[in-house]
Amino acid sequence: MSTLPSPSVDAAPILALTDIGKRFGTFTALEGVSLDLMPGDVHCLLGENGAGKSTLCNVIFGVHQPDSGAMRVNGAPYRPRNPREALAHGIAMVHQHFSLVDDASVLDNLLLGQARGWLHRQREAERVRAVLASVGLELALEAKVADLSVGERQRVEIVKCLMREPRLLLLDEPTAVLLPAEIDALLDTCERVAARGCAVVLVTHKLKEISRIATHATVLQSGRVVARSASPATEIDRLVHAMIHREGDDTPDDLAGRLSLVKSASPYSRPLQDEVLQIDGLSARDAEGVARLSDCTLVVNRGEIVGIAGVEGNGQSELGAVLAGMSGASAGRFFIAGRDMTQASPRELTQAGVGIVPEDRHAVGCVTGMSLADNLLLNHLDRYTRGGFLKRRAMRAAALELMQRFDVRASGPDALFGGLSGGNQQKAVLARELTLDPLIFLLATQPTRGLDVGAVAAVYSHIRAARDRGVGVLLVSSELDELMSVADRIVVLYRGRIMGTCTPDASNRGRIGAWMAGAGETA
Amino acid sequence: MNRHMKLQTPLASAPGTQSWRARWPHLRVACVIAAAVAFAMLAALALIALMHVSIAEALAAFADGAWGSPYAIGASINRSLAFALVGTGFVIANRAKLTNVGGEGQLAIGGIVATAMSLYGGCAHLPFGLSFIVPMLCAAAAGAVWGGVPGVLKAKAGTNEVISTLLLSFIAVWLLYWCVQSEALLRQPMTNGATLPESLEIPDPTKLPAILAASGMNLNIGLPVTIVLAVASAILLARTRFGLALRAAGLNAIAAKRAGLPITSSLVGALALAGAFSGLAGALMLQGDQYSLKAGFSSGYGFDGLVVGLLARGSITGVFAAALLFGFLRSGGINMEMVAQVPSALVLIVQGIVTIALAGGALWLDKGEARR
Repeated sequence: MSTLPSPSVDAAPILALTDIGKRFGTFTALEGVSLDLMPGDVHCLLGENGAGKSTLCNVIFGVHQPDSGAMRVNGAPYRPRNPREALAHGIAMVHQHFSLVDDASVLDNLLLGQARGWLHRQREAERVRAVLASVGLELALEAKVADLSVGERQRVEIVKCLMREPRLLLLDEPTAVLLPAEIDALLDTCERVAARGCAVVLVTHKLKEISRIATHATVLQSGRVVARSASPATEIDRLVHAMIHREGDDTPDDLAGRLSLVKSASPYSRPLQDEVLQIDGLSARDAEGVARLSDCTLVVNRGEIVGIAGVEGNGQSELGAVLAGMSGASAGRFFIAGRDMTQASPRELTQAGVGIVPEDRHAVGCVTGMSLADNLLLNHLDRYTRGGFLKRRAMRAAALELMQRFDVRASGPDALFGGLSGGNQQKAVLARELTLDPLIFLLATQPTRGLDVGAVAAVYSHIRAARDRGVGVLLVSSELDELMSVADRIVVLYRGRIMGTCTPDASNRGRIGAWMAGAGETA
Repeated sequence: MNRHMKLQTPLASAPGTQSWRARWPHLRVACVIAAAVAFAMLAALALIALMHVSIAEALAAFADGAWGSPYAIGASINRSLAFALVGTGFVIANRAKLTNVGGEGQLAIGGIVATAMSLYGGCAHLPFGLSFIVPMLCAAAAGAVWGGVPGVLKAKAGTNEVISTLLLSFIAVWLLYWCVQSEALLRQPMTNGATLPESLEIPDPTKLPAILAASGMNLNIGLPVTIVLAVASAILLARTRFGLALRAAGLNAIAAKRAGLPITSSLVGALALAGAFSGLAGALMLQGDQYSLKAGFSSGYGFDGLVVGLLARGSITGVFAAALLFGFLRSGGINMEMVAQVPSALVLIVQGIVTIALAGGALWLDKGEARR
């Protein structure tokens, strides 16, 4: 374990990057990036989606090799050809997506790839406990990973890294999938790890986290460093400005407007109009046959955003799957504009004007191996088919138009969808679903997960614009702050039941929080 | 809005920094293929030398058999047709990430049906060329059924198509043996004990008409039919909604279903098309070349066609290249055995080495691709 004492100013950097450049084909992902990481640093990497944050982490971790520039670890040249070499140099990374064996125990997952030869399970367990104790984490070592919550799984990933006694820990958007309490615990862990003389790099979009733990911050934009800060907590405004401001683009006023879009609530409510979605006593089970949604009754009106609040895993996924036509209801019905669509296929739902922004973008929302244009128009193909033939030119033009309108950034309509950054992928899915014709109801599940501030604002301005056109929106999110500012009405889901409905007034916050925790459960 | 345009500007502002790899991707692929084939040929020469056969004599025999005369060239091309059809079908199914390993059986079924229709279906008396077209169409339809059944099983019950196509292939090959052994089926009437277990020769009107007879290459209309079908397949895959649905279903069936694309019909359609192409290949072999159904009718053409499809890596152009390579290799190899006493198994070895070398080269190409 690295036992460097307290970080001192003249200590050598653990990792020094000089002038790093990286291109993918003709796309410049990184250009002239220099960075010093000192022991004890918690260095936040900021930037819009696609700014190059993940690429930078991957270069440091040996997943990608830089095209130019140099890296030094403790002063010695460092040029990892693969993650294994990075690990050997004491550099560990927790990726956005977990790589755990679901059916194995926590302990086995931690030992995977670490134990050599004979497996001294007892001794290794002791070692794991020592590591856990040193950073103040708790984990049930015998539990199966499949039974763990997302936060616990991430803790396993982090401990997996710590077992290797790294000098530098890279965390790529670790808080995107966590609950508020889990985020706090994670940030505590980061601080403890840094306090031991390790450097921590944290990729994040969340301003609260930066002001809480960052000792340094670097803002990337289009692969270049556009701002640095040695006291980020006091310079949040400057950093955010650097993040989403571009030369010759937004004026500061416009920027303020975009930010306020996220912050300000829209308290206005409109007279209730005709119902676009009626859910009547809907129940659903998951793949294992466990009841996940019971007896839900809910109405969404034309021109209304109804927010579904609740901790993840309380039936939101099943509700989304049933409304998307991807799995059947075990009881109850739902109607779109008065028509019973409980048994409808996805195609029939699309034709009836139901847009779906799915929770799991990669599994349900897109085909990463196909082009951006194909993905943007995947369920609009009727419009671009004549006699079975695709009107490729019209598709390209339509895709370009959607890219402009929804600010989807890519090298062009023919870019491979999987190569886009997460935020741009999400914007593309949203663009596709919002431009259905007709569109009368939109179900958006966690539409802003992993998006940066600017993109979140853009997503909600598009959703609001749809609402103002008369679309009924059901918005499922675990970010209560966002729901409170966007929704016209909030419904709380707990263990598959609707706990209550109220307006998104600040005075109702306490009630909503209590409902989310299951207080007042009737059953 | 202009931020978007900014990113649109091509970033290849410094052409000098781009490697030849980036500028000539196809050249790189071609080099790898040429290297793989050359490597296999060298290995073959080494093997021939080990067998104490004169290399010059073996090579002369090979060249003679593969392209030594117009007739030899025609024979090589005719062999390539079956490979190309089976390979095209493989590529179509593979677009939906389905692996059709049943080409051999689909080809056998095609041969059986073409024979039955030609001899006993009354096709010989049909006007306007229908006499040879109808058996071809029936063979293709039968192949489509043979390929479509695994498609239905896959779509409805999730049965692995590799297993179901392979097992159905065995059934088809044994069905063919039964057909040529049983007089009640397709065996020619037994006049004496020496009557071979094969069908009668099909009537002349059902044989495929020759084209370019003056060239002496013994070509028939199977050649243009194959070219037209392959081009049509390339268009089908690249430009139609069906092609897009195939790709989407193969890459992410859940997302394709959510987007309202027809998964079941895509999967069944893809395997049925693959079967139809193989069935048609059987008809071409029978009506254009062999004229009577024999026990060893399919003789591995279906499996070689599968390899052709694999080597083509999803491209119809690749199918043509690989099919021609295999066609000429086979013709040359057969002659090498007859003239220079080099076992024809050597050709199989060469095919194997080409396949492995190309697969290795492809792996290397993919790796380079991923690194960039």
